[in-house]
Amino acid sequence: MHCLEESKLASQSRTRSIEEINRKIRSGDVQVLTAEEMKKLVESSGVEVAFKEVDIVTTGTFGAMCSSGAIINLGHSDPPIKIHRAWINDVEVSHPGAAVDLYIGATATSETNSFEYGGGHVIEDLVRGKEVELRAVAYGTDCYPRTKLKTHLTKDDLNQFYLLNFRNCYQRYNCAVNTRDETIYTYMGKLLPRMRNATFSGAGELNPLMNDPDYETIGVGTRIFLGGAQGYVIGEGTQHDPRNLNGTLMVRGNCKNMSPEFLRGATFTKYGATLYVGIGIPIPILNVGLAKKTAIRDEEIFTNVVDYGIPRRDRPELARVSYKELKSGRITVGDKSVRVSSLSSLKTARKIAETLKSWIENGLFYLTQPVERLPTDTVFKPMRQTEETPFVAAVMQPAVTCSEDEEVRAVAERIVSKSVNHIVVVDEKGILHGIVTSWDITRAMAEGCKSLSDILTRHVITAKPDEPLETASKRMAQHNISALPVVDNERKVLGIITAEDVSKMLGR
Amino acid sequence: MVRILLKFPEKIVDEPIISQVILTLKAPLNIITAYVNSKGGEVLVEVPEDKMETVVAAFRKHGVSVSLPKFIEVDETKCINCGACVALCPFEAITQQEDGSIIFNKEKCVGSTCGTCVDACPARAIRSVKQENTTLTNRHTIKSGQLRS
Repeated sequence: MHCLEESKLASQSRTRSIEEINRKIRSGDVQVLTAEEMKKLVESSGVEVAFKEVDIVTTGTFGAMCSSGAIINLGHSDPPIKIHRAWINDVEVSHPGAAVDLYIGATATSETNSFEYGGGHVIEDLVRGKEVELRAVAYGTDCYPRTKLKTHLTKDDLNQFYLLNFRNCYQRYNCAVNTRDETIYTYMGKLLPRMRNATFSGAGELNPLMNDPDYETIGVGTRIFLGGAQGYVIGEGTQHDPRNLNGTLMVRGNCKNMSPEFLRGATFTKYGATLYVGIGIPIPILNVGLAKKTAIRDEEIFTNVVDYGIPRRDRPELARVSYKELKSGRITVGDKSVRVSSLSSLKTARKIAETLKSWIENGLFYLTQPVERLPTDTVFKPMRQTEETPFVAAVMQPAVTCSEDEEVRAVAERIVSKSVNHIVVVDEKGILHGIVTSWDITRAMAEGCKSLSDILTRHVITAKPDEPLETASKRMAQHNISALPVVDNERKVLGIITAEDVSKMLGR
Repeated sequence: MVRILLKFPEKIVDEPIISQVILTLKAPLNIITAYVNSKGGEVLVEVPEDKMETVVAAFRKHGVSVSLPKFIEVDETKCINCGACVALCPFEAITQQEDGSIIFNKEKCVGSTCGTCVDACPARAIRSVKQENTTLTNRHTIKSGQLRS
């Protein structure tokens, strides 16, 4: 009777409270929809009906979240040790506290199996109940005399084992492509040359923060689904940038109750280890506005297609696409249709939203009132750098050039008169056609070869003027060459950098 | 059916070797992929198991090098259904279902001759494995009478 009256009241009221919703969870009357179901309801019946009928909308996301880790407490050994450095399964873990507290960073890599195993895998193995090996060294003090330790542990041996993630659950993320001529391996996965594929991350309309973009309900103390257990939001994440729709969360949860289905160690080739984290947040529909906000669709959520081929902080943005396009498997960049696929799992994101829904419906999960709201005005500043980083333009010299129809002898004379080792072959517009080295010329002279076109190298490895010198230097080493012509986007030759000049600048 | 990889050196790339083998052995070879230019070629073909020995021997006699490419296998227990592999596959052998599941179609996959997806899997659920019950050894040399002239 009491309940009936209450719901009648609620149906007339323009708001509902967390306490009211929790009472409905207790009585089994709560109405929960996943974010995807909510969108359909709003589309078919409108915001007013959705507000009246729905108490909670559940969200979900499951993706690689590198800024994750777990804090563990080992208890004291006898004699006791104040750990200075420690490794679990050969992955170095940090010692942020007094003696036996360790933080397992998700991206720390194994010293013996570097990129294939890392902190994320250690956390997963512990969650699975596997035994891990701990090694530690210390300098020894009067109160902590021990200097060396080796032992085997499972999660049951740990006093505390908490996931403590300082930046999770990005509201949305860049879509990545690569315009270079070579495949690159990034934290956005494997990117084929000349935009032959694209990758993206995030659940779009299912993403928790996208469904509460003004942080009306998600705050410090919000109870959430975390890695298959109940966890909490403990604040905004680092780099939280809500005004640009790049909000993030800091979260904490008890790993001992988590499941490897929603917490998984992973490896990005040539990048390193990470942790896939499953997060689901219930959005209480406290007012009509929230009913409207939780109806957001993939076609209303946009992100930028970013060129990860440019190794700079501000990478070029090549296009703007919606999550609807991203989830369709194809996007358009300029006049090119590019196949795109996700790095985060939509299937698991849906499962998280469903699981959270069933927890609430079965009275296993109650909502909390945040004790403090998250900031909505913070900005994500770039790093203050007090030392300058050299770029290619800083060591670039004018290139000594020739045209393809010149004779070997003429080029040989130029090498001597200009005292260089590399001649860049260009057309009349200055566009790169090839390169010849003093070695090529010497050999051509010895073998009596007269035509330049027979000896020039046409597949030229190049550099861009705004590229960090270190990347260009690495490329020279990779290809075992001693110079790179510097070109613009149209392959017009701007100059040349040599290994010699680079070493001078980098001080090697 | 067994998949074999044929490598044609520059010297013999202009000869109609595959046709000759098909005609002389009456073997229904199914060409899966072929990359051929003036410098040489790589052709992936499917051969019926019972013809395999004679086919391999015939190609080798023509100076073609024959190897057994590995198959790509997905460990479903490790796969996290992320999709990192989907857009990378040039043969569209990996697709995403409506419910978000990632489906691997072994029929369309060319195996280790491509292998683009293997190092892109964050869960390390994709690996290349040897074709079952099949080995290629030097015993596949020509036996008299097997090749009808």
